[in-house]
Amino acid sequence: MTAAARTTAVWAALSAITVVSWFLAPARHAEPVVASTPITVGVLVLALIKSRLIIQEFMEVRTAPLWLKLATEGWLVVLFGAIVVSYVW
Amino acid sequence: MTTTSATSAPSATRHLPATKDLWVFVLGDFVIFGSYFVIFMVSRRQERDLFIESQRHLSLNIGVVNTLVLLASSWFVARAVQLTRDGEFDRARKLTVGGGLCGLVFIVIKAYEWSAKIAQGHTFPSNNFFMYYYMLTGVHLFHVAIGLVFLGVSYVELRNRRRIAPVETGATYWHMVDLLWVVIFALLYVMR
Repeated sequence: MTAAARTTAVWAALSAITVVSWFLAPARHAEPVVASTPITVGVLVLALIKSRLIIQEFMEVRTAPLWLKLATEGWLVVLFGAIVVSYVW
Repeated sequence: MTTTSATSAPSATRHLPATKDLWVFVLGDFVIFGSYFVIFMVSRRQERDLFIESQRHLSLNIGVVNTLVLLASSWFVARAVQLTRDGEFDRARKLTVGGGLCGLVFIVIKAYEWSAKIAQGHTFPSNNFFMYYYMLTGVHLFHVAIGLVFLGVSYVELRNRRRIAPVETGATYWHMVDLLWVVIFALLYVMR
């Protein structure tokens, strides 16, 4: 796959995930919406996948030195870990 | 020579896009925004019903469109970097303009969204949810504006000196802006 095709595929995947998120949001519903752990965890997993795609592909961390890979992966783990813990705790 | 494209580089070859200084700044911004996000989540936990009810007044369609606009801008900017490496400076410059125009569209849509919320009576002091809404989107919008300056520098570089490092720097900053929005979109608009 060429670099151009790969970039376009990543963009298409990110946009598709965004449209999927649209179906999950409370603002789409006229009736009262209640907290939902399964939906929230699903939303956070999609956001994590998108974030990691942007870091690895668009920011080119995939081919970057190890220290940068570790720093960005560490940030994702700590951030999304803290978000999930503060939601369910 | 640094003309090897990122994807065709052998796995043993490691290339740091942009400069180390820029990455230190980006990682610092990750920590700062990460703190905002966790503080938001802790407040949300304390007033969960209020946050979910307030969230329903946000324009989800506008949030989705703005996410798609930023993702498109990132495509333009990522392709511009690849074209710069291939020596296609004129095409790279056009795509940089495309990325910048998407950034301007994002700002215009955000201004419209804010004015609509204010007109509906949802202002900064309305409640904690809207306080975080204006704070997070406001600080992010400031980053979009800085990102446009970076893209402007890329444009000038592509026209004149044609060095790759400033183009990579502008792109890395721009993708960070896109990434932070992706998290803000999930936390403010979508999660329950």
